[in-house]
Amino acid sequence: MKGPLTGLRAWLTQRVTAVYLAGFTLFLLAHLLWDTPASFDVWRNWVLSPGVRVTMGLFFIALLLHAWVGVRDVILDYVNSLTMRVSLLTILASGLLASGVWLVEILLVHP
Amino acid sequence: MQFSVYRYHPEVDDRPYLQDYEIVPRPGDVMVLDALFRIKEQDPTLSFRRSCREGVCGSDAMNINGRNGLACIVPLSVLKEPVVIRPLPHYPVIRDLIVDLTQFFEQYRSIKPYLINNHPAPDRERLQSPEERARLDGLYDCILCACCTTFCPSYWWNPEKFLGPAVLLQACRFLEDSRDEATEERLAALDDVYKLFRCRAIMNCTDICPKGLDPAQAISVIRQTMVKKSV
Repeated sequence: MKGPLTGLRAWLTQRVTAVYLAGFTLFLLAHLLWDTPASFDVWRNWVLSPGVRVTMGLFFIALLLHAWVGVRDVILDYVNSLTMRVSLLTILASGLLASGVWLVEILLVHP
Repeated sequence: MQFSVYRYHPEVDDRPYLQDYEIVPRPGDVMVLDALFRIKEQDPTLSFRRSCREGVCGSDAMNINGRNGLACIVPLSVLKEPVVIRPLPHYPVIRDLIVDLTQFFEQYRSIKPYLINNHPAPDRERLQSPEERARLDGLYDCILCACCTTFCPSYWWNPEKFLGPAVLLQACRFLEDSRDEATEERLAALDDVYKLFRCRAIMNCTDICPKGLDPAQAISVIRQTMVKKSV
């Protein structure tokens, strides 16, 4: 199956998203240590500030892509029965897409 | 010296078993292959492949104390007893220490292991500079013994679809050859989910290669070449 995320593209995506995930995680940790939010409202305002909202949105998109490539690789390695494989990949894809929808809702629709 | 050797004769045995032998090495018996010949003196029914006895043909590749190697160049002195000798992992056993390498060689053929150059042949050779020739070092010298491929966990999980380190090293050999003109086609052929990308850089291959080659590095070179050509 030559979908949009096969071979070289998947491998490159996994590595590029890994760099972004690592970078943003460090940025987030630094903020929490340096500028610890005093209350939930302070935290909420920070997350919804334009810069953080966009970069955090990107973080979660990167996370979804990274997770898809990673877990799909594990399934392709170890699961050989066709039914099991299709089922597990479907469950994985649904789970990740559902997370994506929820992400959009949290950051954009009902912040 | 104590040995425990994998035995299996499909026409006679229900299942494989390990048979114990004790041999007295003679002066000059330095390598595992020498010990196998002593064992064969005791038990002529033991079967194994061997040819050059100097580590260049790859015939006597087998699993010695859990690590793949060429029996003719694995010294007896470093081995813990009883020395357990088994055939190469995960390939069908034809008999005793002899495995069926058909799939290995089919995968080798599938990467078109020959120069593809559609220009008419020159009067003498297709010339290469010393630098261009140097890019083949460490790639052309593979003896196709299958030690690396049969030691790769990723190959164990997907032997029909993942090509394995030896075949990928040979693919790299032709990609790096300045005289070859089918680079695009070769790279396109490798760009799918299984053929190359099951490689996880586990690096068992580089660890075990009896000729000191680096298949993991070759696979990395192929990946870099793919990225360069597509980005």
